[in-house]
Amino acid sequence: MSTFAASPALVRFSRHELRLAWRDWAWMFSGWRNTSLRRALIGMGLFYAIMHVIAYAVLSPHLTAGFVLDHTALAMLSVTVLLSFTMMLSQAMESVTRAFYARDDLDLILSSPAPSRDLFLVRIVMMALTSWVMSALVISPFLNIAVALGGAHWLSGYVVLLSVSLTATGAGVLITLALFRMVGAQRTRLYAQILAAVVGAAFLIGMQVVAILSFGSMSRFSLFEPAFLAEHAPSAGSALWLPAHAVAGQTGAVFLFFAASVLFFAVGAWRGAVQFRRIVVLALGVTEKTPRGRVSERRFRNYSPLGALVQKELKLLARDPWLVSQTLMQVLYLIPPAVMLWVSFGENTGISVLVAPVIVMAVGQLAGGLAWLTISGEDAPDLIATAPISAFTRLWAKVVSVLAIVGAIVLPIALCLALLSSWGAVATFAGAMTAAASAILVQLWFRAQAKRTTFRRRQVASKASTLAEAAASISCAAATALIAAGSLLALLPVVLLLIVLAVSWSIRPKHSAMA
Amino acid sequence: MPPANTAALDILNLRKCFSEPAVNDLSLTVRDGEFYALLGPNGAGKTTTLRMVAGLLEADAGCVRICGIDAFADPIAAKQVLAWVPDEPMVYDKLTPLEYLEFVAGLWGMEPDLARFKADTLLDSFGLAPHSNERCGGFSKGMRQKVALAGALIHEPRLIILDEPLTGLDAGSARQVKKVLTGLVAQGVSVIMTTHILEVAERMADRIGIIARGRLVAEGTLEELRIRASADGNSLEDIFLEIVGGETGGEAPNGDAGDLEENVA
Repeated sequence: MSTFAASPALVRFSRHELRLAWRDWAWMFSGWRNTSLRRALIGMGLFYAIMHVIAYAVLSPHLTAGFVLDHTALAMLSVTVLLSFTMMLSQAMESVTRAFYARDDLDLILSSPAPSRDLFLVRIVMMALTSWVMSALVISPFLNIAVALGGAHWLSGYVVLLSVSLTATGAGVLITLALFRMVGAQRTRLYAQILAAVVGAAFLIGMQVVAILSFGSMSRFSLFEPAFLAEHAPSAGSALWLPAHAVAGQTGAVFLFFAASVLFFAVGAWRGAVQFRRIVVLALGVTEKTPRGRVSERRFRNYSPLGALVQKELKLLARDPWLVSQTLMQVLYLIPPAVMLWVSFGENTGISVLVAPVIVMAVGQLAGGLAWLTISGEDAPDLIATAPISAFTRLWAKVVSVLAIVGAIVLPIALCLALLSSWGAVATFAGAMTAAASAILVQLWFRAQAKRTTFRRRQVASKASTLAEAAASISCAAATALIAAGSLLALLPVVLLLIVLAVSWSIRPKHSAMA
Repeated sequence: MPPANTAALDILNLRKCFSEPAVNDLSLTVRDGEFYALLGPNGAGKTTTLRMVAGLLEADAGCVRICGIDAFADPIAAKQVLAWVPDEPMVYDKLTPLEYLEFVAGLWGMEPDLARFKADTLLDSFGLAPHSNERCGGFSKGMRQKVALAGALIHEPRLIILDEPLTGLDAGSARQVKKVLTGLVAQGVSVIMTTHILEVAERMADRIGIIARGRLVAEGTLEELRIRASADGNSLEDIFLEIVGGETGGEAPNGDAGDLEENVA
């Protein structure tokens, strides 16, 4: 009976999830506008073609001369696989947590006679497949070029990618289940978000820190030097190189790696599925709790309307667990430049040229995240819109809140930098604040009003705004490095920044904002 | 300062069209210290009208005066004397009721000591005092609605616009809200409220306006509406159905702005 009953439910859930995933995807790529999907697809096609050109430029020197699977190649491939894994694991943890906590259709499904276990199985398979497709979109140009230049055996890279996504998704489920058991439903969401952020950034940052400590260089590529690998990496016959051998197309390694991933995924998915109903019931029962202290007797502060808005924004930002994890991730990226500063302290006054762009990039990204949440997320838009304040005051308060937080993070870093180079410190501070201001401008132009709870996922932002924000941060970082080095070439990235902002402004969606 | 001896709300030939007219040449007046109930089937244009009055939606044509102030020409001055309470309580999950009221008081530029006193009084009268230091995220819909209502009242508005304020409230909470509103009207504050609970309109409203297809089709006291509907002794429900012709108002795609997310912030 259960086999016959479960099967149609699985099919129905799969169809339902596929439809939702497709619409979510289409909506995500067209931003918040009803832009035609065709335009989005054309844009993506162009991006995909350009990625092939880049892949050709990167791979052709290695593959046309005949590929040798030496220590360096093994290390490079392993690092790529590990990097993909950490990124996918981070994404999987966030997705699994969302599957447990987001109410969406769970009330309907849990109150229906359909088996909720099947729903979770379908959702977990969808997570693995989405993760595979999304990473394949980025990595496939490299695989395609490798196939064209080096032979069909490189096609195994797709299987390895699928294996990695299965492993990461299975691990994401098991880790989230473990968190539930260890810290309970009330805290799991926050801990999972923080862990996801740390996992996503830790590997890259770890590599950079090792490179700094070993070579005094911020470049992670220093770690691939043959002498270093010969001393520190496992021998060529080690089982640790299995993923690398699988990518390179060794049939046994591919089969072993894939079979182990499927098994691991099946265990994780099944354990999650059988506990799904219990965990969701616990998670949905979680409410915002604050200690029942004595009623506050303090006087109200004398805020101006602008002050009240800024105070409210700062309070909401400080109490947002999602933001805590995102900020933590951005702060983690500041560790390598901090280590670099520490290693070079007193020895290298030109160090600001190296660390400034990293700081500016990290700050630009942090400001973008903050601005996105602050400017577009508003839980009481009617209250704000009916308050006797101008539209300018409303927006200005949000801008000031973001700049205040960014300034508070950048200022101490700039002061440390000033001990080495005052010019470098000024350039870094100015560059970071310009990057923040640019990100804020982009978010102002692309703002889309909604409740904060719907803004958990940064990736639901308009892709155009995300790209514009990244381009602006890169331009600011390049300009800062060149200004810190005293080069007139800094004008070029400045011009590029202005072009990026002008293009963003010209393609901004029309808003119906009233004064 | 709003001019004296003026109506609390004057709407003249207001018009709003989405794919089809939602509000069509609508005119109505709410007198000072009056409780006015606005009734109509779903999609009739009640919420759209009130959102235009509150400055949440741009009108295509017409004029709105709040306490004598042209709300389209000087929206900030008009908002100073206005309070808007939507059907869906909009409060911040991460703020406590006390913090929320402090924030609202700041927006309206209130004197802090007076604001604190008003906040305590309102929280007390809505039965929220024991929860004043708990975050709103854990509150029921009824409690959230009462927090939102306290926020609307703290700055002592002269005109309160309520869109289905009793939705989701239990009997006890609904009575608290009605008591507070009646008390405010007794103090000279004007209230305009949409509701589907006709009994509330029947008991509380000084005058009732009925909207259908974006037009004001009837207006007056309960007695006047009875006479007009030739329905002596009948309930407001009978009168209402007689006037709107049994229209149940299938939701127009862009009809009631309660269903719209025409954002303005």
